[in-house]
Amino acid sequence: MINPSPESLGQSLHDQQYIANADITTVLYLAQALGKPVLAEGPAGVGKTELAKAWAGATGRELIRLQCYEGLDETKALYEWEYAKQMLYSQLLRDKLNSLLADTKSLAEAADRIASEEDAFFSMRFLLARPLLKAILSDEPALLLIDEIDRADAEFEAFLLEVLSDFQVTVPEIGTLAAKHHPLVVLTSNNTRELSEALKRRCLYLFIDYPSLETELAVVRLRVPDLDQAMARQAVELVHRLRQLDLRKSPGISETLDWARALVHLNADSIDRETLQHTLTVLLKYDRDVQLARRALQRDADRRRQIEAERRTRGMHPEDEGLDIDSDG
Amino acid sequence: MVKFAAALRAAGVRISLAESQDAFAATQAVGVMDRRRFRTALQTTLVKDHTDRPTFDKLFPVYFGSGPEGMPNAEDQLTPEQIEQIRQALSMLAGELREMLERMLEGRNFTWEELEQAAQRAGLDRARTMADQGWLSRRMAQQLGLAQIMDEIQMLLNKMAMAGANPRDQADTQAFLEGSLANLQQQVQNFAGISLAERMRETVPQHIDDRPLMDIPFQNLSADEIDRLKHEVSRLAARLRTRAALRQKRGKGRRLDPKSTIRANLRHGNVPFVLVHRVRRRKARFTLICDVSTSMRPVVSFLLLLMYQVQAQVGRTRSFAFIDHMEDISQAFEGQRPEQAVPEVLYRLPPGHYNTDLGRSLEGFFRDQLGAVDSRTTVIICGDGRNNYNPARDDLVDLLARKARKLVWFNPEPPALWGTGDSDMPAYASLVDAVFQVANLRQLSQAVDQLFA
Repeated sequence: MINPSPESLGQSLHDQQYIANADITTVLYLAQALGKPVLAEGPAGVGKTELAKAWAGATGRELIRLQCYEGLDETKALYEWEYAKQMLYSQLLRDKLNSLLADTKSLAEAADRIASEEDAFFSMRFLLARPLLKAILSDEPALLLIDEIDRADAEFEAFLLEVLSDFQVTVPEIGTLAAKHHPLVVLTSNNTRELSEALKRRCLYLFIDYPSLETELAVVRLRVPDLDQAMARQAVELVHRLRQLDLRKSPGISETLDWARALVHLNADSIDRETLQHTLTVLLKYDRDVQLARRALQRDADRRRQIEAERRTRGMHPEDEGLDIDSDG
Repeated sequence: MVKFAAALRAAGVRISLAESQDAFAATQAVGVMDRRRFRTALQTTLVKDHTDRPTFDKLFPVYFGSGPEGMPNAEDQLTPEQIEQIRQALSMLAGELREMLERMLEGRNFTWEELEQAAQRAGLDRARTMADQGWLSRRMAQQLGLAQIMDEIQMLLNKMAMAGANPRDQADTQAFLEGSLANLQQQVQNFAGISLAERMRETVPQHIDDRPLMDIPFQNLSADEIDRLKHEVSRLAARLRTRAALRQKRGKGRRLDPKSTIRANLRHGNVPFVLVHRVRRRKARFTLICDVSTSMRPVVSFLLLLMYQVQAQVGRTRSFAFIDHMEDISQAFEGQRPEQAVPEVLYRLPPGHYNTDLGRSLEGFFRDQLGAVDSRTTVIICGDGRNNYNPARDDLVDLLARKARKLVWFNPEPPALWGTGDSDMPAYASLVDAVFQVANLRQLSQAVDQLFA
């Protein structure tokens, strides 16, 4: 499926339950138009991997995922000969081989005979395609997601460059395999390591940051429709407040969604202090962060109460405070 | 667009030829009608580093600024009666005051010539960097007569009030005139930006900022420089890590890898022609020891920062500090931000007078902390080797060098001073694997490069 414009691509992404801003749709559109890989960077949990999935869905392509890790090498990423199968075949075909070689007179002749049959053993049948080769060989147009490229070693990055620039792979025993369809490529990085200039040069760069309040709210409404509207807003506002704190790991959208789902499951009808106490660990993954957040939220609540008290003494009505985590009183 | 790319380059963003080609292709694909989209297309192809984003944001409006079409139109915003009122009020003002207000009423922009003249008169030739944009546009605005315009608007409004205009008309007029003014000011600012960027482009692009930072001794850094330094240091720490990891990976272990050997020899009918050994993927380990005595105080917070970053990036790092005894500071670095951790360490080890004793500290280290050093650990000692005539205990340093995979010494003092006074540096230097003078960032970066080269 070809998307004629960024808008229609945005709509297709929306149909895949992904809310993309204008920047994202434009970059993806460009990636399709120019056939370039997209390098998505940004903090953890802002939906970089989700984006690739949604894009695959929106373009009707198969998603092929390569998760990077330290020590990832070609045999895990590209291809490997399936030795066990080769062994098994050669064992099973021993009789056939014997008959084939029965009329040979010399050892050299037998070797030549075997050599002429070599193709049978180094054919696609015994080639175990790993994600990169799979994406290249795929009959249908595919979308290749290379996740967390910053975790792989620098050597792997260099090797990847070669594959990404011409989408062909040379297997010594078989020959050069070129892509039937140019796959769309998404690389994601959490920015734990500087990627090489060369890799960046070949990609379209997309920085995905934490979303604005309204966008995130829209995401929550789309993904967790069971959550009460007012609660959803409260929850997202609280998450935004948490992101302002100096945390070791700020909550991402994925954490917001997890939290929203948790609230639905707990049948919470408001985000009061008790619910928060119990569920804050869904949002924050370090004990120190949890402590820090509790203190900060407590300070916020105290300040609000103080302001309210001042207003009351002046004989004014307390106005709408927006987020009020202490609505239980 | 070529000029824009050149200006970005001049501002320190790395853009290759291939990338500017991509930018052209991308803008062709999205067209130039949608401004936001055009901007995204340029951004995604030209800016590949998040930290370069502000530069892009600053230069983009300069080159593709809102332009003449943005001038508010009097007929759209005001009623004919209001315009008539303004004209009457205008006629009561003195001639030179009227000019600018009439221009706004008619929606006329400054022409290129007007702007160019103003820029020349404002002293474009004296401008040095992009930071002069504010200064230049202020002076240009003065030259063009925008400086006094707020007063003029006020006078006009007073006249209107005297002529009996109601408050609503006055408010509308004010809003319109201020909108026009903002537009004109924007135009001036854009022009100032373009002229400056053009001037900058002509001058040789150089990293004016980077060079001094590399050479400033650690003790004379400003707050801003320290921020940049922190960034650099964390980069260096990352490099230290990858370097150490690379080296360790290349070193092959002795152990045979049976699985891979069988695989590799399948093609030889499982006759083991090729032996495959297991490649040891041992992670880098560091043990860092820092002298925090009085003589080191000027540079010590920097060195501690380096240690902090290394510890943050390499899982198995132990950090120690000593004056007269060794203290394990790994805990202090754990779970605290550097701004808190570094002062805490300095507080825990208050400087005294002439009490540095590496010998005794090492004794304590060997007694209590020997587990921190084994055959895969790289030990880095940061210190000036000034022992206040205490026993040097170079035998312990020798032992340490034998136990560790590598023992490296970073000394802030220049080699010429080693051995003078109470310095035991020559004795140590002969025992360790490498000694570097590290008194500024450049030397640190060179040291890290050479360490595993």
